Amino acid sequence: MQLLLSLIFIPLLMSILVGVFGDFISKRLSHVLTILGVLISFICSVMLLNDFLITQQTQDILLFNWSIIGEIEFQIGFLVDSLSLAMASMITFVSLMVHIYTIGYMEHDEGYKRFFSYISLFTFSMLMLIFSNNLLQLFFGWEAVGLVSYLLIGFWFKKPSAIHANMKAFIVNRVGDLGFIIGIAIIVYYTGSLHLGEIFSQLSSIEGQLISILPSSSWNAVTVASICLFIGAMGKSAQMPLHVWLPDSMEGPTPISALIHAATMVTAGIFLIARMSPLIELSSIALSFILIIGSLTAFFMGLLGLVQNDIKRVVAYSTLSQLGYMTAALGVSAYSVGIYHLITHGFFKALLFLGAGSVIIALHHEQDIRQMGGLRKKLPITYITFLIGTLSLIGFPGFSGFFSKDTLIEAVHLSEQGGSHLSYYLLLMGVLITTLYSMRLLFLVFHGKYRSTHYPLAKVHETPWVVTLPLLLLAIPSIFLGGLIIDPMIMGGYFSGAIFVSPENQSLQEFIDIYHGVIEFIIHAFVASPAIYLMLLGILISWLIWYKNFSLPKQFASLIKALETVFKNKYYFDYLYENIFSQNIILLGKMLHKWVDAHLIDSVFVLGSARTVQQISSKTRQLHTGDLTQVALIFFVLLVIFTAFWIS
Amino acid sequence: MVIDLVFFTSVAILMISAMGVITSNNPVHSALFLVSCFFQSSVLWLLLEAEFLAIALIVIYVGAVMVLFLYVVMMLDIRKNEHKQSVSSILPIGIGISILFIAELIFALSGTNVVQTRDTGVLSNPNNTEALGIELYTNYLVEFELASIILLLGIIAAISLTLHRRPGLKKQDISQQVSVSKKDRLKVVQVRSGEGA
Amino acid sequence: MSVNDYFIISIFLFAIAVAGIFINRKNLILILMCVELILLSVNFNFIAFSEIYQDFSGQIFVFFILTVAAAEAAIGLAILITLFRHKKSIYIDDLNELKG
Repeated sequence: MQLLLSLIFIPLLMSILVGVFGDFISKRLSHVLTILGVLISFICSVMLLNDFLITQQTQDILLFNWSIIGEIEFQIGFLVDSLSLAMASMITFVSLMVHIYTIGYMEHDEGYKRFFSYISLFTFSMLMLIFSNNLLQLFFGWEAVGLVSYLLIGFWFKKPSAIHANMKAFIVNRVGDLGFIIGIAIIVYYTGSLHLGEIFSQLSSIEGQLISILPSSSWNAVTVASICLFIGAMGKSAQMPLHVWLPDSMEGPTPISALIHAATMVTAGIFLIARMSPLIELSSIALSFILIIGSLTAFFMGLLGLVQNDIKRVVAYSTLSQLGYMTAALGVSAYSVGIYHLITHGFFKALLFLGAGSVIIALHHEQDIRQMGGLRKKLPITYITFLIGTLSLIGFPGFSGFFSKDTLIEAVHLSEQGGSHLSYYLLLMGVLITTLYSMRLLFLVFHGKYRSTHYPLAKVHETPWVVTLPLLLLAIPSIFLGGLIIDPMIMGGYFSGAIFVSPENQSLQEFIDIYHGVIEFIIHAFVASPAIYLMLLGILISWLIWYKNFSLPKQFASLIKALETVFKNKYYFDYLYENIFSQNIILLGKMLHKWVDAHLIDSVFVLGSARTVQQISSKTRQLHTGDLTQVALIFFVLLVIFTAFWIS
Repeated sequence: MVIDLVFFTSVAILMISAMGVITSNNPVHSALFLVSCFFQSSVLWLLLEAEFLAIALIVIYVGAVMVLFLYVVMMLDIRKNEHKQSVSSILPIGIGISILFIAELIFALSGTNVVQTRDTGVLSNPNNTEALGIELYTNYLVEFELASIILLLGIIAAISLTLHRRPGLKKQDISQQVSVSKKDRLKVVQVRSGEGA
Repeated sequence: MSVNDYFIISIFLFAIAVAGIFINRKNLILILMCVELILLSVNFNFIAFSEIYQDFSGQIFVFFILTVAAAEAAIGLAILITLFRHKKSIYIDDLNELKG
């Protein structure tokens, strides 16, 4: 219990200390405090995980009752189980790495202490979300991470593009939150409780309930609730069509891109669906919906990564694509694989982002990859770690990403969920595309000739140890973690207490039955799945195009040009949202202001009521003639009337 | 028979005097009509065997209150019939309402049974004053004292309202005289011989 | 000449007095005189009832009413005088400062 409370609240304490007293303490003290806080958090989470592995005991702790409104209790409580501990370990580790990295990255920034305060606050919010045992607290954590993400994306608030990006992130998140709240409301309405344990115990009774959305049609309540919850997850985890904020969120400093938009906040949506798995398993419509959205995102976002010229944007679209993969895994009820991929992805994507940041500061804040090249010799550590991350991402055999990705694709392949065939092909194509953009990035940045005209090559040197140490520390799990934990996590039923899979969706079970060990898995991949061959094909193609600089035949070139325009406009999603939706809403607002605000409320209600009172009172005032005898007459008349009533 | 005659005469003069009060142009006439009302009331109360009150009415009301009224009327020097419009425009309405009121109350009265008992009981005591006195001083003593305080209040209020301090008038302020202290008045000075005044 | 007649006298006096209050356009003193008339009519009522119920309470109450009426007349006149000092007139139409 002590461990849990210090795990969650020490980062908050450090964040408040550094945030409030930032002006009075030195920069060194501020980063020492916050790193100490996150380090304690990490140690506590590892110890709790250790305890859990020994005792296999899930704890549902009630901290206090906040209030009771009607029949619904609002509580603050914590749920310590396999899912939350696994995620907490990953989150605190990545957060610790990012904290250390920030010492070097934000060294010359004047908002140094504010940044540390924010990222500690973020760690607290995410941990609150993960460990909550009721929907209210989960929503609190949800909103809190959204808020801190807003603060951090717009960290350099004097840049107008940063402000635009953070507003966009917050507003798109809000759209998702609307779905989330409606989902919570439906759940509360039908089960009468916000507490996860209580909700799940009542599921059998609410399975058949119908809810009428429009007056004529009625749908299954569980389906509607699940889809609404998933809409919330779409906003937070950036699935199509609510993905538009993530690329723009690269306006924030690189450490937060690593922390928030690779490993933690965007995984909150995946976590939510996994956590609510008993509910969502009851609705196959919702599962198909999740599957299709996920696989579409995986494929189409990957394509966009091919045409980006900003190093961080490439990695951002890669994140979007991988989130699509995780969502697809959830859609085929392979929740454990989804979380497994989430954890491995957290490590290698954070590594990639931090590596990109290392390149950026080595080149003195240059982010355009057309200005880079041949940095392999100058930034060796960065190059090695970036290579490791890339190999893990594309699923090179033996690395973490390989295990999680291939398991995922196999699970989708074996599933009979509606839409799983289409998903399988989309995910396979996604493997090819992932390889293409990743290797493109690698070749353009680290190989070839140095192309920059802004910054001389002689000045480029490896970044300080505070930057490269986290890279090295993150590289280790990127290689080994997958192979190590696949046994307990997937095959051994590690998540069995936390995640529920209904009997008809046991696609993963078939896979588990044929699994015989890590080495066997690697060999099996060469034999059974086309994924690995697609990856090798991708490496070949990218080597040819971007390393050897072959140029494409003329017919291909014009087709590629047309596609490139579509990709560069990001499928016109931004155009739709900004020019059509936003402009119309602004127009509506202006009209409402003119007609309702100015005319109706100001003239009719406010001034009108004053005028009416004036008119009535000027008529009524004339009753006061100041005539004494008239008063007496009125007295007498009333007396007569009263007597009449009294007599009768 | 005689009593009936006295009764009706008194009532008639009473009503005429009351009408006279409200319709006179001259306020002095109104006051005098009011005095006549009181006299007739006194007669009527005698017929009701309330002797003390009848006399008290004359003594207090006519002797003190009406005199006061007349003082004020004469002091204020009201010109008779100063303004042309001496009858109010709401006279018809007023008369109508009054008649309505009278009718109402008479109607109310007619439904009740008023018991008439005479010649038996307390009020037959020939010494009405003594009986009243006994009643007053034993059962209603506190109220009696309160009445005296009310009169005191009346005095104080009337005097303080109308007290008119003329400026430039020299008079004594007793409270200031009493609150003086020795050092305001007396100063001991050492005087050498030969140097005085 | 029953006791009822006294009630009728009381009613008539009251009505006349109240009518007098609002049909006068002359001066303020008339109002005070009408108040005295009202009190007189009430006294009639009390004494008539005292006669009926053979109880002294009515007469004692009249005693007190006389007292209070005297005090009230004195104060009323004092106020009148003060008013006259300020407004220099006791004509009703001049007293319209409450006109809204």
